[in-house]
Amino acid sequence: MSSRESGNQQLLKIQRIDDLLQRNLWDVDHRPHIVVDTSRCTDCEYKPCVLLCPAGCYTLVDSKLLFSYEGCLECGTCRTVCPREAITWNYPVSGRGVLYRFS
Amino acid sequence: MKRPRIVVGIKWVPNTQAVRFDPKTGTLIREGVPSIVNPHDLDAIELALKTREKYGGEIIVVTMAPPGAEEGLRHVIGMGVDRAILVSDRVFAGSDTLATSYTLAKTIERIGRVDLVFFGQETIDSSTAHIPAQVASWLDLPYIYYVESIEKLELKENKVVVKRKLEDRYEWYEVELPVVIGVAMHSNPPRPISLTNKLRAVTEKPIEVWTNKQLGLDPRCIGLRGSPTIVSKVTWQPEIPRKRKIYQGNPKEAVKWLIKHLEEEKVLP
Amino acid sequence: MATKFDAIVVGAGPAGATAAYKLAEAGIKTLLVERGRGRGSKQVFGGRIYVTPVREVFPDVEKTAPIHRWVKREKISILHNSRILSLEYESPEKHSFTTYLTEFTSWIVDKAINAGAVYVDEVRVDSIVEEDGRITGIEAGGERIEASIVIDAEGVNRLLLEKLGLAERLSPEEVALGAKEVIKVGADKINERFGLEEDSGLAWLLVGEPTDYLPGGAFIYTNRDSVSIGVVVYLATAVKKAREEIYRLVEKLRLHPQLRQYWEDGDIIEYSAHLTIESGRRFMPRKLATSGLIVVGDAAGLLLNTGYTFRGVDYAVYSGYLAAEAAKKAFNLGDFSEETLRENYEKKLLGSFIAKDLRNHTGVEQIMHEVEFFEKYPVVAIDTARKLFELGYETPRIQEALRSSLKTHHINLLSFLYKMFKMVRKL
Ligand SMILES: Cc1cc2nc3c(=O)[nH]c(=O)nc-3n(C[C@H](O)[C@H](O)[C@H](O)COP(=O)(O)OP(=O)(O)OC[C@H]3O[C@@H](n4cnc5c(N)ncnc54)[C@H](O)[C@@H]3O)c2cc1C
Ligand SMILES: Cc1cc2nc3c(=O)[nH]c(=O)nc-3n(C[C@H](O)[C@H](O)[C@H](O)COP(=O)(O)OP(=O)(O)OC[C@H]3O[C@@H](n4cnc5c(N)ncnc54)[C@H](O)[C@@H]3O)c2cc1C
Ligand code: SF4
Repeated sequence: MSSRESGNQQLLKIQRIDDLLQRNLWDVDHRPHIVVDTSRCTDCEYKPCVLLCPAGCYTLVDSKLLFSYEGCLECGTCRTVCPREAITWNYPVSGRGVLYRFS
Repeated sequence: MKRPRIVVGIKWVPNTQAVRFDPKTGTLIREGVPSIVNPHDLDAIELALKTREKYGGEIIVVTMAPPGAEEGLRHVIGMGVDRAILVSDRVFAGSDTLATSYTLAKTIERIGRVDLVFFGQETIDSSTAHIPAQVASWLDLPYIYYVESIEKLELKENKVVVKRKLEDRYEWYEVELPVVIGVAMHSNPPRPISLTNKLRAVTEKPIEVWTNKQLGLDPRCIGLRGSPTIVSKVTWQPEIPRKRKIYQGNPKEAVKWLIKHLEEEKVLP
Repeated sequence: MATKFDAIVVGAGPAGATAAYKLAEAGIKTLLVERGRGRGSKQVFGGRIYVTPVREVFPDVEKTAPIHRWVKREKISILHNSRILSLEYESPEKHSFTTYLTEFTSWIVDKAINAGAVYVDEVRVDSIVEEDGRITGIEAGGERIEASIVIDAEGVNRLLLEKLGLAERLSPEEVALGAKEVIKVGADKINERFGLEEDSGLAWLLVGEPTDYLPGGAFIYTNRDSVSIGVVVYLATAVKKAREEIYRLVEKLRLHPQLRQYWEDGDIIEYSAHLTIESGRRFMPRKLATSGLIVVGDAAGLLLNTGYTFRGVDYAVYSGYLAAEAAKKAFNLGDFSEETLRENYEKKLLGSFIAKDLRNHTGVEQIMHEVEFFEKYPVVAIDTARKLFELGYETPRIQEALRSSLKTHHINLLSFLYKMFKMVRKL
């Protein structure tokens, strides 16, 4: 059970993406619903996924692309902007993933 | 040939990630918190489905819960469970583990012949892990917990071999049927919901509701009256502020960096 | 086991749920399949729904829908350099309301279930099945269910239509990304801080700084006891010009020195993101029906974004209704051919207010693509206003203020006037 307090002082500064995602309700599947062939990313100049994924699922570590599906908001942006067709994209099954209540 | 009858007990729990604590009033904020099937119980469902795939038979899910739990029952029927019993009656409200396990044991007795009784390892909202052991005790059946798989099921000889996982070893047990089994968490990741099964859950009404009219249990043994547990106080573990150091760089260096910092924090000796 | 339905609707958003409701109400055996858990759990929008088309389909909308507040104040602002230039409009009429789309969609799904539709959640449809040039049903996890007619209401990510070859793979030019935070503030504080009555609300659109001058816009809507704030950026330009993560833009909007006072003691209760269509006209598939299939809602490209209005939900509801009407006719005729469905659905839709809207506003959409419009014009506008209002010794005339602002930003007066003229004409 999370003991995150509501309306606290912490909110007065820019939140990290992980903290924003924590606000949502999740039921994350153990099977990834998106698979990225990162071998195709090495010579991709822009890597638009990094700035445009609203969930920060794409990060650069040592200038190599790292993808984690857990915080995915299922928007479809990465699939649209990827110039290398490196992404095998689908929605999660069994109602898993993010569960919106107030959007 | 005789086919196994498997009962699986599941609990309908509030999705605890969504429960928040209001430090001003000292209470839990439950608004907009939906319930889910206790995630660890899905491992038990999955093991039951695997057992049925191998040996045939029937899977009956049982839950003691308010009517809203039908949604959870449809979820597991969607995974492939044959039928479900919702034990629901105002008189069961306020049950502690003793009263809950008594009610569940009596329900299982009423189902008739049962070979295997599966439970999850523990719940996410109370995590006592009392229920399976207590049910076994009421029914006077053997109980094995942390079970990962059913290795061999011989209904003719009335015995089963199960494998369980401990921290440092595996153990194999051969026991007589019927038996109560606590399924280890994360041991059997649940399969996806199937279209036709979910459709069956909605259209064929495979959920029975049992009240105390059917069970006829002594009011002194159920609900609040049958619950000797007294909660004297609930306190909240305040969140420890996280230090949040982030390492950017290659994994090999990262390990060294991490060990160094954990030593500095006295997490590692 | 019942594996044959008259009609199957894929996707329980406003479009699909409405279609299922209208079909079931007419006694057609209908299956509504949704990938999310429960009702509306995958739904995201900005914040307001125009009521007139919805009322035609659901006459009880005002009485029973989960309406948070009636939008009685509209505000459009340009934000730059700690300055805000706004246009405000107030009306006592109830023309649109704020809500959570999750709640609004649940309301329609409940209606569909009560009318007799079979609702199956937690199932992701993997494909719409085509046999001998005719749509015959759906497939999920290797299992099939048949129907005489399938209604595709899958929304903006058209995985199923792409598989059928009826839609192209999404390209960044066609869509925009919206990211949103819902902040719980409390009804009384909202009334007090925004100066609103009990059930009246505000719809506020902003350009300039909040999107980091990228084509798109930001929005603020007041709900019952919360505020929805968010940013929409067009992917085509964002791909090349984005300088920081989109969630940081939303966070900066939340913490904006001149805006934060409205909600700063509130709690963020949700963070969501969704794609939206940039130009409905271009997004529309070649045909909106084939033999045994009708396409509705976002999947059909039914969205209008003029920069000051955002209409998708009412279009979705209305197209779901038109689809159900067409399907009912098809059942009466026993004819599900492409010709019949296009005649009774596509033609009706293209003759409706929706298609008219989309045609009328094509010009505005073109302007909305011009980077200059978002990069330079907000700056010029604020600069001009600053010269007019922040006076020292001298008091410039409007013309002088504008001319000198244009000069500072290297914009030719004639081209500026021409563009403004063009835009006013197209609006
Ligand atoms: C200290 C404490 C005080 C409590 N006080 C109260 C109280 O005053 N009033 C009150 O109402 N509750 C109270 N509870 C909660 C209540 O006792 C338990 O929720 C309930 O009895 C089940 O126990 P558990 O959740 O710990 O399950 P566990 O024993 O952890 O569950 C193990 C497995 O048993 C099965 N199971 C559990 N519950 C059910 C069920 N209902 N139906 C079917 N199968 C099930 C599942 O397979 C589960 O994985 C208290 C709990 C604790 C820890
Ligand atoms: C940021 C943003 C702001 C917006 N603001 C507004 C606004 O203020 N006012 C307004 O009127 N409109 C607004 N819109 C547009 C509006 O949200 C859409 O036009 C509307 O939701 C479209 O409805 P729909 O039913 O066609 O699709 P959706 O609402 O997208 O519903 C599609 C449904 O289908 C389900 N689905 C998809 N694929 C499958 C599958 N394979 N199997 C099963 N189920 C599936 C999805 O889970 C979803 O529930 C906004 C959109 C965005 C993104
Ligand atoms: S679908 Fe959206 S949220 Fe999910 S990884 Fe892609 S860009 Fe990120």
